[in-house]
Amino acid sequence: MTSPVHLFTRTKIKLFYDEGKIIVLNEIQLQAILAGTIVTLEIAIVSIIFGAIFGVIIALGRISKNKVANSLSWFYIWFFRGTPLLLQLFIIYYAIPIIYLDSTGMTFTIDPMLCAYVAFSLNAAAYLAEIIRAAIESIDGGQMEAAKALGMSYRQAMTKIIIPQTFKRLVAPMGNELILLLKDTSLVSTIALSDLLRTVKTMASATGSWVYYIYAAAIYLFLTTIIQVVFDKTEKKLGVYER
Amino acid sequence: MSMVKLVDVRKSFGDNEVLKGINLEIESGEVVCIIGASGSGKSTMLRCLNHLERITDGEVYIQGELTDKREKNKDLMKIDPVKVQALCAELGMVFQNFNLFPHLTVIQNITVAPSIVKKVDKGVIEKTALELLEMVGLSDKKDEYPSRLSGGQQQRVAIARALAMEPMIMMFDEPTSALDPELVGEVLATMRKLAEEGMTMIIVTHEIGFAREVADRVIFMDEGVICEQGTPEEVLLNPKEERTKTFLNKIL
Repeated sequence: MTSPVHLFTRTKIKLFYDEGKIIVLNEIQLQAILAGTIVTLEIAIVSIIFGAIFGVIIALGRISKNKVANSLSWFYIWFFRGTPLLLQLFIIYYAIPIIYLDSTGMTFTIDPMLCAYVAFSLNAAAYLAEIIRAAIESIDGGQMEAAKALGMSYRQAMTKIIIPQTFKRLVAPMGNELILLLKDTSLVSTIALSDLLRTVKTMASATGSWVYYIYAAAIYLFLTTIIQVVFDKTEKKLGVYER
Repeated sequence: MSMVKLVDVRKSFGDNEVLKGINLEIESGEVVCIIGASGSGKSTMLRCLNHLERITDGEVYIQGELTDKREKNKDLMKIDPVKVQALCAELGMVFQNFNLFPHLTVIQNITVAPSIVKKVDKGVIEKTALELLEMVGLSDKKDEYPSRLSGGQQQRVAIARALAMEPMIMMFDEPTSALDPELVGEVLATMRKLAEEGMTMIIVTHEIGFAREVADRVIFMDEGVICEQGTPEEVLLNPKEERTKTFLNKIL
């Protein structure tokens, strides 16, 4: 029977054996890990930005009285939240070139990075739209009335009065979403992109040492810590007008 | 020419008819106080004037111009929304709960609407805002956020904010009802000052003493109709209608 103590000592021995290779990464490994980290970061940052912009539009559609805008946004959220992100990534990566070939007779290769940007942005937009809609609806109705009574149009009231008041309430869920995105970027290994996790996985398989995963974990934690700290600070700063 | 006019105005929320045929005309310079029990339709009537609520039936005029004409909840006339918005902006409104914009400082609360709606030059509107703050006695609070002000101070800022749009009429929807008793006086004093300057005012209030003092006309509303109206002496001291007497006995 293996007791926890035994497991612990065996782990220690393994770390000791591997010491020469793992404690110091060689330059090529270091560069590969850095490149993987950049891919991960790029996808997360691009998709949170485009997701937020698109999310605002969908959120406005959801609260609009216009039936077409309302049902289109409902449908969008229903689809992108209701199917796996991995599936959406596959559809964009595999299906679009085939549909293109079938309809035009021409082949075209899709850039996997662009695919990742599109899939992650569209998916993030669905989640962010719901977050933004809830934030807008949480603003007291008297604010819109006061803005209207002062002669503002719906658009002016939204952009100057209502939406700025949602910023503080949006920071925490946005940070949440960004952290989720950062970790979900590991899905792009399925469309031939080398993100952080994929990079260390390759190293681990090539050398037989699992300890490369620890480097990845450390980098993920480092990045998410930065996000957490920055978002916490931003939230405090934006709440300056509250008592 | 009347400043505002309501013709046979009805308003229903679902099956609940809140206004049951209101006819009302208010002249320039008049101070009109509207009294009545809660649920009598006083606030709804104000809100119908500036399109915060759409009427179900009837006609609404602001400065002689038609802003709403409806029957059975359907528009009878297509009226240019830009024109309606401009006319409604002639009616300044002060709310029971102040509704200041919490993310803006006191001075920004006052300047935001003139600068984006009327595109008034920044220097000009800031000067006006400072004068208005002086008038309501809050010059020293110009860079505070509303959350740091007392209820009475917030309501005075709200009055200054409405005045910054240079409205022809000021409407007050129970402006002192949400205030602690010791803060009511400062708001009423500000309103009194406005009345003395000749501002046309429509005030929904429970402050009978104030109504007696400043009103040119008092309107008593009950169950969605104007039950009695006249000078403060007529309505408040010698009411003719039984319902007015009952109401006054209850609250005095």
